[in-house]
Amino acid sequence: MSTTGHLIEVEGLRKSFGDTAVLEDVGFTASSGTCTVLLGPSGSGKTTVLRSLNVLETPDAGVVRIGEAAVDFGELPRDKGLRRKEIRDLRARSGMVFQSHNLFPHKTVLGNIVEGPVQVQGQSPEEAEAEARRLLEQVGLAGRETAYPAQLSGGQQQRVGIARALALKPDVVLLDEPTSALDPELVGEVLAVIRDLSQQGWTMVIVTHEVRFAQDVADQVLFLHSGVVAERGGAEVLTDPQQERTQQFLRRVLEAR
Amino acid sequence: MIVVLGLAVVGTPGATAGDEQDRPVLRVGTEGTYPPFSYEDGGDLTGYDIDVMKAVADEAGFDVEFVEAPFDALFPALDSKRIDVIANQVTINDEREARYLFTEPYTFSRGVIVTATDTDDITTLDDIEGKVAAQSETSNWAQVARDAGAEVQSVEGFAQAAELLVQGRVDVVVNDNIAVLDYLASTGSTEIEIKGQVDDEISKQALVFRQADGDLRDRADAALKKLAADGTLAEISEGYFKADVSVEDGGDVEVEGSGGGRSTWEVLQDTAGPMLVGVLKGTIPLTIISFVAGLAIALGVALARMSSVKALRLPARFYISLIRGTPLLVQLFVIFYGLPQIGIKLPGFPAACLALSLNVGGYAAEIIRGSILSVPRGQFEAATTIGMPYRQLMRRIVLPQAARIAVPPLSNTLLSLVKDTSLVSVVLVTEVLREADKAASLTGEFLPLYCLSALYFWVICFALSIGQDKLEKKLGRYAV
Repeated sequence: MSTTGHLIEVEGLRKSFGDTAVLEDVGFTASSGTCTVLLGPSGSGKTTVLRSLNVLETPDAGVVRIGEAAVDFGELPRDKGLRRKEIRDLRARSGMVFQSHNLFPHKTVLGNIVEGPVQVQGQSPEEAEAEARRLLEQVGLAGRETAYPAQLSGGQQQRVGIARALALKPDVVLLDEPTSALDPELVGEVLAVIRDLSQQGWTMVIVTHEVRFAQDVADQVLFLHSGVVAERGGAEVLTDPQQERTQQFLRRVLEAR
Repeated sequence: MIVVLGLAVVGTPGATAGDEQDRPVLRVGTEGTYPPFSYEDGGDLTGYDIDVMKAVADEAGFDVEFVEAPFDALFPALDSKRIDVIANQVTINDEREARYLFTEPYTFSRGVIVTATDTDDITTLDDIEGKVAAQSETSNWAQVARDAGAEVQSVEGFAQAAELLVQGRVDVVVNDNIAVLDYLASTGSTEIEIKGQVDDEISKQALVFRQADGDLRDRADAALKKLAADGTLAEISEGYFKADVSVEDGGDVEVEGSGGGRSTWEVLQDTAGPMLVGVLKGTIPLTIISFVAGLAIALGVALARMSSVKALRLPARFYISLIRGTPLLVQLFVIFYGLPQIGIKLPGFPAACLALSLNVGGYAAEIIRGSILSVPRGQFEAATTIGMPYRQLMRRIVLPQAARIAVPPLSNTLLSLVKDTSLVSVVLVTEVLREADKAASLTGEFLPLYCLSALYFWVICFALSIGQDKLEKKLGRYAV
């Protein structure tokens, strides 16, 4: 794949489970420092696209490139070691924030954040802890270093999850419905932190149902339907959709609020 | 662990009788629970057979090393070359002569028929047809009873047979008159008595060697002849029986009772020490070694069982199925008595550790697998996305969480293991229950002695369950 100046290039992603096609030829690009929002009804394939970016799902075909690292799923190396290395290199480019945070329950807040930098990236514990404290301050959780995840509220847990993803200093932050599992009164604090990241210039790909929030942060919106990109554009897609399926979806989501 | 044990096999120095040394070390198998022939007095092995064996060894220039085991384990131990000779009132008969080498007899005795005192319809061998007899399965007296038409119930030794008579669970016991007299004198029992003689024939007991050890037998034989000629045998016999049982008509036997007329309390006091030694040298090290090795095996097998590689998955499944589908006792027998026949000979303690470890491994593997599977999918994903390879992910993220889930069921496995160690006396390893058996064989105090051994087990298990609570708290500290 040629270098086009984009940080992320996704091309021709296909995936099916048995006879059911989940993704059919999905592609997009994103520049450094931009925020891409993936929208769509459940089953549209948006989460599968996101999880393909760090190979939690393995597409049947297509190419994902982030920075220098690329994986061509249609032509994965036969050699197991080589294949693993390609995938590991691509994964190292992104950090992930999960819908249900997936913090390590047996590690403290600080332990969760420094786990990757120390154990995987080989940073010194002192260095990693200093960075972790800085990140905790950024997400508004200074002072909770020694707490265990179970001692935190859902919003706090998710903010630790964000700090954990940032600690790896990834090129891209992937967020999979980061507020969907939260009680409504906790959604705001998490969105505020994400908005902050966007302003600091982090490159992000977000799957979310928070349309108003998406309007604020999105540089690019992809509306997926039945495994294809039904509509794409800037944030204006959310206020002035051209496709009927997009209009229907937005109406339903906004009415539900 | 297996590797270590494997090396132990190769590295075991040959204490075998086949060595053409000047002073071969003879491993002597004996019950240790058959007074007055072979029993423990204050922790020391003694008895008529023991003294005779020592005298023979002195004369013939052997070094001896006594190995205690239930009677029914003695011949298998001889066959599997774990012992070289049996000194335990083994009666000479045709079947045995066909398979083994006997020395000249050193005991002439009569078989007697023993029943409960209030049984009055059994006085001769003819009367025991259709009756139930309690005997050591492989003893000559069991064969006598069987030949007379009795149904034989297998027991560990004469004391247990006598106890079954007292309890009315069996009708008759056929045994050597001296052992019976000793039992009666030791226990003061009036509940059983000698009702008759087996027949007029005198039975002869001798030392038994393997067929291949003709030269050892010949040396022992020459020594016995010399000891008979110089009066040593007669002297040993007089000391125990006030008669010379080493010749055919040595006079009437009189015994004082090896058990020595102690009160129940004194018996318990005397036995508590050796039982504690059994705990410290048998039960506890067996438990620790087998549990640690078993967990290591279990972890490997659990991971293999979950592997995507079929060549790992299938053997793991087979192993688990084999261990869970066969009795531990059979596993012990296969490893201890079976493997030597294909050249793998482990001493008793390592063999017991191996069997128990493999057993723990099979059960704990499924516990560990279940615990790993119960760690949420998201934990694997989160660890993957921060870049962890499989090993690191398992070690740092999944296993610590699985450990917390596994502690209660693994504690059950551990407690079962503690209690399963009581089975290992069948492979010649001494532990608590074996000590209780030995004391009971002298005194007949089954209830207090078995209760005492139960107490030891209970104390160990109680301590472990406190440890379990502490561990659960420690591992669970993060869950609020």
